[in-house]
Amino acid sequence: MSGRRAGFPVSAMSARDTVSEAVAGIVQRPGRAVLTMLGTVLGVGAFVAVLGMTATGAGQISRQFTALQQTTVTVEDNGPANDAAPPGTNPPIGFPADADQVAERINGVTAAGVWWPVALPSGTSVTGSLALSANALQTVTVLAASPGAIKAMGLSMVAGSPLSTYENDTAQHVALIDATTAQQLGISAGRLASHPAVFVGNIAYTVVGIYSSAKRVVTDESALLIPEKTALASYGNPAPGIGDQQEAQMVVATRIGAAKAVAAQIAAAELPTDPSRLVVTSPPNPQNLQSQVTGDLASLFLVLALISLLIGAVGIANTTLVAVLERTEEIGLRRALGARPRHIAGQFLAESAALGTIGGLIGTSIGVFVVVISAAAKDWTAVLNPSYTLPAPLIGTVVGLLAGAYPALRAARTSPLAALRHA
Amino acid sequence: MAPPVIKLRGLARTYPGSPPVHAVRPADLVIEAGDYVAVTGPSGSGKSTLLHLLGLLDTPTAGTYLLDGLDTSTLGDRDRSALRGSSIGFVFQAFHLLPYRTAAENVLLAELYNRTPRGARIRAAEHALGSVGLGHRLDALPTTLSGGESQRVAIARALVNRPSLLLCDEPTGNLDSRNAATVMELLGELNEAGFTIVVITHDPAIGARARRTVAMRDGVASETVAAAAAVAVKDRA
Repeated sequence: MSGRRAGFPVSAMSARDTVSEAVAGIVQRPGRAVLTMLGTVLGVGAFVAVLGMTATGAGQISRQFTALQQTTVTVEDNGPANDAAPPGTNPPIGFPADADQVAERINGVTAAGVWWPVALPSGTSVTGSLALSANALQTVTVLAASPGAIKAMGLSMVAGSPLSTYENDTAQHVALIDATTAQQLGISAGRLASHPAVFVGNIAYTVVGIYSSAKRVVTDESALLIPEKTALASYGNPAPGIGDQQEAQMVVATRIGAAKAVAAQIAAAELPTDPSRLVVTSPPNPQNLQSQVTGDLASLFLVLALISLLIGAVGIANTTLVAVLERTEEIGLRRALGARPRHIAGQFLAESAALGTIGGLIGTSIGVFVVVISAAAKDWTAVLNPSYTLPAPLIGTVVGLLAGAYPALRAARTSPLAALRHA
Repeated sequence: MAPPVIKLRGLARTYPGSPPVHAVRPADLVIEAGDYVAVTGPSGSGKSTLLHLLGLLDTPTAGTYLLDGLDTSTLGDRDRSALRGSSIGFVFQAFHLLPYRTAAENVLLAELYNRTPRGARIRAAEHALGSVGLGHRLDALPTTLSGGESQRVAIARALVNRPSLLLCDEPTGNLDSRNAATVMELLGELNEAGFTIVVITHDPAIGARARRTVAMRDGVASETVAAAAAVAVKDRA
């Protein structure tokens, strides 16, 4: 049956009218609207906040890791040849004599070198003067390091200069010390010109440089660095790495992004005859780290967000249903004024969808606010992915639509007759 | 010549049950354009059911109802809704004004579903309110209006689309006698201006103001002053 055939147009309601009727329906009960929205606000807010906090935390972690760990490759001389050495003697280092140069020829390597902790005889102390044994230190670590390793450690020098190739090749008794140890030994930067000495046991080393911090290897410990050839001459081969001994290893600094490629090549480059003797450690994948952090807690909060969304949906459904029952009279009037059931359903559906959308907008704002504030409190960079932050209010819309479906159906089924008998 | 506004042939409404209730027994009635008809009768006489049938709010169980020459008994809900919106203006005993909307907005409501352009609505609403003497209370909320004013807003809403039929259900039932008189005067003026009016009432005094009176008793409709109506129709024709 066509309305045109009958000579009159079929009732219609524009989208704009539907929206303005819905908004009018909401604003006439502002207090109730706010309470109705609460669940959606909490759900969407929790959703945005959890994802934002997770991304912010992961972003922070990956930033810390990418800077250094992503450019560091470690190679340990840990092969079975070590175990084959006669007991009580340390086997020669597995790395070739020109290990530094071989490594630096690999594309992507900026510096590389061999180092190991020197196994000092027990009871050896480090002191600034043999005469004044009062401030002898027992805890100073002595590391043997090639010039390439010193370079790869990325030392920030306070005074003096890093160990030179000459000092290594001629096995000079020279040393670099960290600023803390220097202070404890009474060696100030100003005294460097007068060639102060440190005594490791009875052996004197001329301090040629003081460093304040390092990017690799000696990042959080006090260490006295001496040339590797000096160490070999004075203390012999490094320990073979059995038990808690620390064997010789190589620290490789790479360009950003090159670590993986370098790690894949370096063992074969250094020891073509026996690459499996070298154990290569490449940086962790920041993506894995992120997903670990994202894991447990975040999924718990997302479940909570889902629950609040569910509660929000029930709240909207309940309020809309009550409104439908309360407004039976209005529905009847609208039907008498020419509204079709679908116009009535549309109006109530638009009302619940608008409630959900407003709730979603408020929730998203609160979520973003929480992420930004808590990131600022930790001096972190807030990370908000637009791909889920921008459409987040639509979650509220969907919740509103789903919640409004049944009440809208009830409203549409209200008989205009029953509605008018209401009064 | 234009078809009569209302033409009933054996129109009846029976509510199923045991025994079935014959709310309106087969009725024949013709209401011409410009008529002013009162349907009177005590409560339970079937006059409310007749109103629902005339207003396309209920469907008859027998007979035909021609509105403006159009057989409504063959129409589906879509077309009946459209006809309610365009051809019938309802005036209810309880006014049925939306409490949070102004007088003008309440009148606008009648134009929401009939494709009136937004710009034209407010002008039509203001004009309709002016014609019931409320041009100065466009922005008044129903809570601030007297009963008589409320009913005049409702009448403005009923006539804003210039319907073929003004259907009034106990329009003075909630009013004191002074306000009732003003409303009845207004209906009389609207009839003078050409509106076809059907008033359902249990009050014989109200019924006396109409040109024709249809008395309902136990579901049977019978015209009491048909002669006067015939004269009136002739005058207009």
